[in-house]
Amino acid sequence: MAKAIGIAPTRMELLKLRQRVSLAQKGHDLLREKMDALVIEFFGIVRSIGEVRVKTMQQLSSAYRALSICFAMQGTIETYQAAREARKDVEVDISTRHVMGILVPVMEAKPVERHALARGYSVYATSSALDEASREFEKALEILIKLAELEGGARAIALELEKTKRRVNALEYVILPSLKSMVKFISMRLDEMERENFSRLKRIKAMLEARE
Amino acid sequence: MSTDRILQFELARLNAHLPEQRITLKDALSSPSPHVVTKEGSRHKFERGELEFLSKMTPADEWDKLRLPILIAINPKLGRGAAEITGEAEVKVISQVLGKTCRDREMVIYRPEIAVVRAKLPTTTQYFFMVG
Repeated sequence: MAKAIGIAPTRMELLKLRQRVSLAQKGHDLLREKMDALVIEFFGIVRSIGEVRVKTMQQLSSAYRALSICFAMQGTIETYQAAREARKDVEVDISTRHVMGILVPVMEAKPVERHALARGYSVYATSSALDEASREFEKALEILIKLAELEGGARAIALELEKTKRRVNALEYVILPSLKSMVKFISMRLDEMERENFSRLKRIKAMLEARE
Repeated sequence: MSTDRILQFELARLNAHLPEQRITLKDALSSPSPHVVTKEGSRHKFERGELEFLSKMTPADEWDKLRLPILIAINPKLGRGAAEITGEAEVKVISQVLGKTCRDREMVIYRPEIAVVRAKLPTTTQYFFMVG
């Protein structure tokens, strides 16, 4: 049995194993707490994603409606021409925040919605439908930036959650049971050795008494 | 022994996101880019909106007592899903967020309450795992 498990049934080994069990148990408890906290974070962010996605779809649908009106009123080629002339720069400040060691992106966009004159195309050569479509798309872009931030965060948390869950399961179902069975085996083997020793001593004593 | 080493590494990494030094609400409000530097050297930024929310809840004379980020200390000894908040100003803020009354320097909160706190203060609170 000792050979099959690959450990020497000694007191020293038993002490080492008990230390390993306590470390593994502590690690398991803490990692499980981390997993619970990650689940809280993940569901919080998923709820926000749902809300922001609904807003995004509504905004994009009204933006595309405005664009269709613009195409109809101003003409497709003119609209494309104005789009080529428009300024396309959006300033986004990307930083990070920590959620239990996971870097979650934080995106802060400077106001995307601009004045018609600041967009870059000629206001004299274009219709008001283009201004309306631009405004709607600028609003949509703001929501899309928020959605990107949330989805990036959710992906990072989900990856960490998967890793942590795998570790917790490995500790709970593989490492801790095997360590505990080793401890049990060594303590039973030591008890058995003690009993053998005791009966041996009794037998020797009986033999010595018989000889006298 | 490699599993032990991996485990020790994991335990050491659990609190790597904590700041080297916490800053007070007063300092955070006066800073143009309120942030703290974490133990692993990266920056953790506080959202301006959250700081303003905290400043409305805390009397101005206590701004220099409230240290950020507020630590949600997770101690497995308290049981699964329980966490501890320490510090007078911190306890006041968290109890206001949760709509509770607590006058101690320490308070214990539970998983649904942690979710509420984290939803309202995602950048100004941090988890702290009590390893030792």
